[in-house]
Amino acid sequence: MLGRASSKAATDEQATLESHLHRVALGDREAFDAVYEQLAGPVLGVARRVLRDPAQAEEVAQEVLVEIWRTASRFDPARGTARAWALTMAHGRAVDRVRSADACARREARAAELMVDTPFDEVVEAVEARLDRQRVRRCLEGLTELQRQSVTLAYYGGYTYSQVAQLLDTPLGTVKTRLRDGLARLRDCLGVGG
Amino acid sequence: MMDPEVHSLTGAYVCHALEPAERTAFERHLAQCSACAAEVAELRETAALLASAAAQTPPDRLKAAVDARIAVTRQIPPISATAPARPPAARPRRRWFTAAGWVLAAGLAATVAVLGVRVGDQQHQIDQARQRDTAITALLSAPDAQAGTAAVRTGGNGMVLVSRSHDEAAIAVHGLTRLPPGKAYQLWMISPAQTRSGGLLPLGPDGTSGSVLAHGLGDARTIGLTVEPDTGSAQPTTTPVMLLPMPA
Repeated sequence: MLGRASSKAATDEQATLESHLHRVALGDREAFDAVYEQLAGPVLGVARRVLRDPAQAEEVAQEVLVEIWRTASRFDPARGTARAWALTMAHGRAVDRVRSADACARREARAAELMVDTPFDEVVEAVEARLDRQRVRRCLEGLTELQRQSVTLAYYGGYTYSQVAQLLDTPLGTVKTRLRDGLARLRDCLGVGG
Repeated sequence: MMDPEVHSLTGAYVCHALEPAERTAFERHLAQCSACAAEVAELRETAALLASAAAQTPPDRLKAAVDARIAVTRQIPPISATAPARPPAARPRRRWFTAAGWVLAAGLAATVAVLGVRVGDQQHQIDQARQRDTAITALLSAPDAQAGTAAVRTGGNGMVLVSRSHDEAAIAVHGLTRLPPGKAYQLWMISPAQTRSGGLLPLGPDGTSGSVLAHGLGDARTIGLTVEPDTGSAQPTTTPVMLLPMPA
């Protein structure tokens, strides 16, 4: 019930976000404010999850939000939602940053910490975000241990799948498969694309 | 084509968990495998929910920083579906680069890739623009960078981003009234002791916006904008249409 209600809301939100993004492509600053309103939180949040460092996360969020403004005309609704487009970009940038040479040393130090960390640790005021968080948490709990660790380390930790395999002391092929079937199970649990 | 080995990389791909070489190979495969593309699209939506679940309330300074940057960031035009490489597209860009190169600011790299291939003779301008772009990026990340704005009396808005430690300011003006032939907007650096010319404001192709990067601020406190003959003036000859205070 909750799932259906929130995915209806998500669909409405999506349509609004896409029409705003279309106006952003035409240089509409007010539409950008609306896009910012919806995306700044998750963009910053995912960068923060991956980078850990609040200052670096803010830099990446800034880059990504400017990039949304700059490349709004390249968003193609046939290839996915505006939200996925933006957050794929945010996650990709954060991962690039974390893999850059200067970030490496710090990462080593926090690998162990990440293993025991829960995925969600910050207070978020927005109700939608809290609902998303609860749904995702519930669905992550429905994965097998190896699926959950693989997805969490790769997505939130920003590790390559071969690094994940090392961290979990598990064969490469297994991690590759767990990433795929773990995400597929999350997709079904979260009711994505159905 | 259904190569099960490659196909199983969809999850790792969506998590940005592939090494660069593998990623390139997978993307090549993706272009020909509609089943993979559909799966990637679905898993991306799923991953986006993982991102949403991590959302945080952004600090106000993030909005201020983003607003300051988009004010000086040129948007890229949509790709034409019929002729993505049509030669006339290069023309306005070429003029624009010469006129107001750095406005492109943050997004220069992609355009450079495009222009670098198609308009080889523009390499010099591109290099210059890239240098300005680097300067802007450095300016934006300066710890003491501060933004200021002011309205233009005759229409439009000005924005300045100042770093005293870099001794630099980026100035952008948009929504300007178009001037008759023979006239131009000129910038001034105004300090209590003197008024120095900041040069004519280079305008973009639409003639209503432009931007410059100014070095050597000295004790200048205000950016002025006047309408002058298009040959420029040594000192202002008209009442400023904009006085933009620079944060100290």
